[in-house]
Amino acid sequence: MTARFGLAFRLGLLLALVGVLAAGVTGFYAYQASRALLVQSAKNELLTSTVVLSRRIVTYRQEISRNLQVLATHPITAQVLEKPDPALANQLATLFDVMLEANSNYFQIRLISADEGGIERVRIDRDGKRRLRITGDDLQEKGHYPYVFDSLKLPAGVTYMSRFEINHEHGAHSGEGQPTVILATPVVTTRGRTLGVVVINIDLNGFFALLGSDLPKGFEIFFANNDGDYLVHPDSAKTFGFDKGRHILMQDEFPATRDLVDGPLSHVMVEAHDGRYANAPVVATFIGRKTQIKSDESGVFLGLAQPLEAVLEQADQLGVVTLQIVTGLSLICILLAAVVARAVTRPINAMSAAVRKFSDQGYFDNLPLQRGDEIGELARGFHQMQNQISRQMTELQQHQQELEHLSQHDMLTGLPNRRMFQDRLEHALARARRSGESVALLFIDLDNFKEINDSLGHDAGDAVLKVVASRLETETREVDTVARLGGDEFIVLLDNPAHQEHIAGIAQKLLDRLRAGIPFQEHALHVGASIGISQYPTDGDTATAILATADRAMYAAKAAGRNGFCFASVTKGEAT
Amino acid sequence: MTLPAAAFALETLRVLAWPGYADPDLVKIFEQRTGSKVEVSLIDSDDVLWQRISQNQAGDFDVFAVNTAELQRYISADLVTPIDTTSLPNLARQLPRFRDLTAIRGITRGDKYFAIPYTYAEMGLIYDRAQFKEPPDSVAVLWDPRFRGKVLAYNGGTHNFSLAALSLGHKTPFQIDSKTWPAAAQRLIDLRRNVLGFYTRPEESVHLFRKHSAALLFANYGSQQLQLLKSAGVDVGYVIPKEGALAWLDCWVITRGVHNIKLAQAWIDFLLEAAPSQALVSRQGLANTTSPSPFHNANDRLIWLEPVENVDRRDVLWQRIMSGDRVRKVLAP
Repeated sequence: MTARFGLAFRLGLLLALVGVLAAGVTGFYAYQASRALLVQSAKNELLTSTVVLSRRIVTYRQEISRNLQVLATHPITAQVLEKPDPALANQLATLFDVMLEANSNYFQIRLISADEGGIERVRIDRDGKRRLRITGDDLQEKGHYPYVFDSLKLPAGVTYMSRFEINHEHGAHSGEGQPTVILATPVVTTRGRTLGVVVINIDLNGFFALLGSDLPKGFEIFFANNDGDYLVHPDSAKTFGFDKGRHILMQDEFPATRDLVDGPLSHVMVEAHDGRYANAPVVATFIGRKTQIKSDESGVFLGLAQPLEAVLEQADQLGVVTLQIVTGLSLICILLAAVVARAVTRPINAMSAAVRKFSDQGYFDNLPLQRGDEIGELARGFHQMQNQISRQMTELQQHQQELEHLSQHDMLTGLPNRRMFQDRLEHALARARRSGESVALLFIDLDNFKEINDSLGHDAGDAVLKVVASRLETETREVDTVARLGGDEFIVLLDNPAHQEHIAGIAQKLLDRLRAGIPFQEHALHVGASIGISQYPTDGDTATAILATADRAMYAAKAAGRNGFCFASVTKGEAT
Repeated sequence: MTLPAAAFALETLRVLAWPGYADPDLVKIFEQRTGSKVEVSLIDSDDVLWQRISQNQAGDFDVFAVNTAELQRYISADLVTPIDTTSLPNLARQLPRFRDLTAIRGITRGDKYFAIPYTYAEMGLIYDRAQFKEPPDSVAVLWDPRFRGKVLAYNGGTHNFSLAALSLGHKTPFQIDSKTWPAAAQRLIDLRRNVLGFYTRPEESVHLFRKHSAALLFANYGSQQLQLLKSAGVDVGYVIPKEGALAWLDCWVITRGVHNIKLAQAWIDFLLEAAPSQALVSRQGLANTTSPSPFHNANDRLIWLEPVENVDRRDVLWQRIMSGDRVRKVLAP
């Protein structure tokens, strides 16, 4: 596990996660906030567009008013009303025709008399692509329509506007059965007598189609009367419901507009997601406008809808950019996390390598002792530990050597003891067997030692043993071994002696040397020695055999009268 | 008629009615009294009424309310069933003019009764008290040049031709013969020249009446318009002219597909009781058939609407008149 998901990996992963999370969360909230701002700004734009649109409608209405004034104040107009004169009527009809031609959204232009039930005096109708001059019996009496009886009551120069209605006036040609609004103004003589009215019928759908053609694609216009009845709607089946005896209301389709119709608000913004807009949600603004001129239509509502998708398009672009930034940041975070994780774990890895090496080699290598941080602290700790361990190891080895020495030497004399002697003997025999050389043993037992011990005490005995040991060592070669076997028994191992006489010479020399007095306090102690000599290979093959042979030869020497030596080969010969 | 509560237990009565004819509180009383369950469906136009009754050979409903003029086609189509008047004790509560069913045209066919009068409204004249010393007594006042531009009339061909015929002294305003058409058309053109304008909706008439200080109003919606004007603060009077007033009379009828005719009869009888009758006046502003109308005198002549000779012709001619055509063009083929 640790090998697969090491500290570096886990630390890197954690740092990367934190980084990615921070980038993601920041990006998300930045996107949310910006999106809300964008949508709000789009809505504001939409509101502005709606207001601009409403101004265009007002401007258009003012233009119609000007046209009405041009016609109402033209001298011929009053003359035609005062006394029927076909020639003058023809002139006026030409003027009407020119104006109808110039304004494609005019259905009709009429001059209506105040008398005779409101008979039409001059009338030009639009009939498809043609314009028709209506004459004779086809002229109708319109006095019972509000656009006549209301307009007749107005002062000169004032415009009347009808309600927005379906024109049910029979024989109105293109305008018949069409959504219409009628504007009119009275014809007043200089003496203040009202003779009639000039009337212009406006093609509502034509006008709004024109208005809509300037809008960006996907925009939709809504227009409703003061009660909220639709007059213009993208779905024409929803318009003028009241004309068929039912009300299709803006506030039913967009409940938020209820506050506009019944409440104090001057505009509302809505987002519609259901019904007609279930598949293509829209954001819409509606504004209310009071009618500024004489009219039974006290006010209208204008709405402009834009596909929500278009509004959110910018927000979506923003979302893509945000996503790119977040992705970039995340990648940088991952990289940084990897670098940081490596930087942190490299000294740790180095330390662990050093520790591994320590266990292999016994010393640390490349410890980062110079670092000032926690890693350096750790390294110095390791270094200190290493020093301590080395010191203790040295002491331990010393103690071991001492113990080793103690186990192989005689405490009193410092000579090899029996165990070490046995070892050396085995080695010497082994060597001799290989090289065909010889080995000689001189088994030495002190004479009179027991008496010294008994009379002068163990200190005296010990002093004797020390001196003996010292003398034996000085009288033998380096290569030879002098050992104390125990008590007053010593042994000398001669490595490859030349011949028997030479051995005998050494034995004699030892005897002579030992015989010299040994000072102890104020005494001079005298000891003698008996030496038994055995040789390899003549007196035995093995260490045990050859030692036993030397022992026996020593006894033989002692029996022969002390202070002498005896060769085992001789005693053997005697024995045999 | 008092019935034991369990008499119609588990029975369902299917009622098709106009708004205000079967209010939930009244329905509840009936249900408690009979132990039945009443399902009320509402309609708001003659066309929808015809559609819903005729679409399943009157099998979807037990009782419905219809005016006498409309009733004729239901009888002809055999969608309704005769009513045994002896099973309706509350008929005795009705005013004399409604008790004699044979006197109301359209309710009987052969020797059978098909409908029980329930509620009605007449089209009287509303006048401004300030402009009339005496209340007008004839429909002719609508043509009086003294009130030119002060008269409001209704924009509807069928009733207007009946009105024209009445004003011309015809006894059968619903049947205009070929000789009378030119006179009737001219009469309406004359009306057009005398009025301020024509209205379609009640509130529209009130608006025009007040705005232009009108003197006279042909009240197509009767007492409803009277109440609207009064509540708008206009000092108006209401009169039934001596020629009589056109009036619609809504009756309860039993369908041919009725499940339980006794329950249907119990429903009609119940609605002739005091409480439901009073509810019509107080809640709907409509007259009932059991107590004198608060809107006119018992002697006033009411002319119950009947099917007219030719609805389409009346409409076409009226459209021309309304559009301002003169008589030659109005009568053109």
